Amino acid sequence: MSKTLLNVENLTMKFGGLTAIDDLSFSANNNEITSIIGPNGAGKTTVFNCLTGFYKPTEGQMFLNREDKTVNLNKFSDYKIAHKAKVARTFQNIRLFPVMSVLENLLVAQHNELMVASGYSIFGILNLKRYKDKEREAVEKAKYWLDIIGLTNRADDNAGDLPYGDQRKLEIVRAMCINPKLLCLDEPAAGLNPKESSELNKLLEFIKKDKKTGILLIEHDMSVVMGISDRVVVLNYGKKIFQGTPAETRKSKEVIEAYLGVDE
Amino acid sequence: MSSDIRAIVKDSLFTGLISLALFGPIVGLKTFSKGAGLFVTPHWTPVIFLVLACTIGRFLIGLNSLRKKEIGFVSKITSKVSYYLDNKGKHFAITGVLFAVVFPFLPFTDRYILDVSIMILTYIMLGWGLNIVVGLAGLLDLGYVAFYAVGAYSYALIATTFGWSFWVCLPLAGVFAAFFGILLGFPVLRLRGDYLAIVTLGFGEIIRIILINWYEVTNGPDGITGIPRPTFFGLPFKKIVEDGENSFHTFFNLEYSTMHRIIFLYYLILILALITNYFTLKIRKLPVGRAWEALREDEIACKSLGVNPTNTKLTAFAIGATFGGFAGAFFATRQAFVSPESFTFIESAIIVAIVVLGGMGSQTGVVLASIFLIGITEMFRDLEQYRMIAFGGAMVLIMVFKPKGILANRKPTITLREHNSK
Repeated sequence: MSKTLLNVENLTMKFGGLTAIDDLSFSANNNEITSIIGPNGAGKTTVFNCLTGFYKPTEGQMFLNREDKTVNLNKFSDYKIAHKAKVARTFQNIRLFPVMSVLENLLVAQHNELMVASGYSIFGILNLKRYKDKEREAVEKAKYWLDIIGLTNRADDNAGDLPYGDQRKLEIVRAMCINPKLLCLDEPAAGLNPKESSELNKLLEFIKKDKKTGILLIEHDMSVVMGISDRVVVLNYGKKIFQGTPAETRKSKEVIEAYLGVDE
Repeated sequence: MSSDIRAIVKDSLFTGLISLALFGPIVGLKTFSKGAGLFVTPHWTPVIFLVLACTIGRFLIGLNSLRKKEIGFVSKITSKVSYYLDNKGKHFAITGVLFAVVFPFLPFTDRYILDVSIMILTYIMLGWGLNIVVGLAGLLDLGYVAFYAVGAYSYALIATTFGWSFWVCLPLAGVFAAFFGILLGFPVLRLRGDYLAIVTLGFGEIIRIILINWYEVTNGPDGITGIPRPTFFGLPFKKIVEDGENSFHTFFNLEYSTMHRIIFLYYLILILALITNYFTLKIRKLPVGRAWEALREDEIACKSLGVNPTNTKLTAFAIGATFGGFAGAFFATRQAFVSPESFTFIESAIIVAIVVLGGMGSQTGVVLASIFLIGITEMFRDLEQYRMIAFGGAMVLIMVFKPKGILANRKPTITLREHNSK
């Protein structure tokens, strides 16, 4: 059933003399959650930054296999990754638009569709029905996601006023509003309490199953990683040291040595 | 309470002691030379006054800080006012516009007051135009006057060279200004904050210096004279009418008055300003407006959502510049004369001050700040060089009592409540 969604081949990223990622190859499947774990500084976020166009990799290829075609991610830079290739991401330190309302945050994510519908603002200024309808549709979509994370009654509040856990969830559904094929989550469980983090697990399971979106996850919280991942990629010093299922990962000697540690 | 008073007394006595130590030798002892020797004469009276002034002044400041805890009435009033404006904003705006419409016919309105109002309205329009760039898109532009200048000179040059009417030149002035907006926009796309401010400031100066030095076209520091006055849909405001020609007063069978032209100019700038306002309020609720605000909040997040930052910033620069250009064309036709003198950095600074003090992004705030700043400077016109002190004082007052600007509350561009009620 699951097909390969993302193929990363021989990815290398150098910053001057420092090699952050060294000849990394891995793949992630459709409708699966693939976790990238590893000690701090292993290059996890750098992989994300390459995938989402914030960095241009020194070497290597990244392919996204969509139903319609295979997209070479190297060809797109920054905003086009989200717009054209449909790869969405969240950030380690939450990046919402704090003084804009929750609903507005979700509408900015649908910017490109709305922009076209508003005739690059010309129809919008003229108050044409065509734009109004599209806007209503966009709000309905935002409402759909707010219902899922239980924030509908706070839709008109500023995003910055939400509790931390809700901000995390909002950032994830904001990324989902661009209809991504691949969703990259950078430590979504950081700073969440156990209840919030189990809610997060449910949300991610839902996205994976119902939205047919592949998820790439960077996480240090092992309860999340082991609980919901289908596959795990372990990095250390920019190199892949292991790839396998969570159960296999837990047993791997190399991974225990480099990252998980030994129970006393 | 009594311990507070005791502390204040102690504090002021200590201040007195320090001032005595300072003023005693500096003011109290004066040397003079007589013959071969240098003698000292004491002046104790001014010292006593100075020391007393310091002591009592310190005591009063101390007392005032005590009272502040109980009263703080100024901040109470301002918060009430802004609460009222936020909730009854619509009524306020309608009342304001109605007042502006009947204003020229009120009994106390004379030519001077109307002239000042035209100036205030020009600044309101400029403030609203700059609000798009600074308030919404968060791009601090210290060279906004450049677009004002481009608009004014485009109108002046086109009108004097080709003799086209104001209504044809106005859109052209806007187009030229927009072009310069994009021209400025491209090199500064990567810049933010302080760096952007410095480059835009430089851009403003470049335009002014080009206007001074490009003598063949702009007539240099002498400026351009004889710019056609605006006409009332083809009817000029002329006193002496030649045969077969119509003037505004002959057409409407009115007694000739110079006020006709002034009133016409007043309504012209009022309409231009209201168009700017309507456009801004409208575009703020469109995707591009939301993208501007999102860009101001977090550019990286915008990129991750597929918002094109280049286009978004350029539209902000272009649209903001267009309104600056319109205002410039109006300025040129009002003055009938433009010279680089009118487009110095201080103009940019005043417009930025209006936007910042009004509360970034607030349309009503711009109106209040313009009335306050331009009005106060105008009121102190008789005091000449002290006007700028009044201007500075007004800015300090706003910053002390309303550090985020007069009206700093942002309203969402769309609410789920409205959506659901439809």
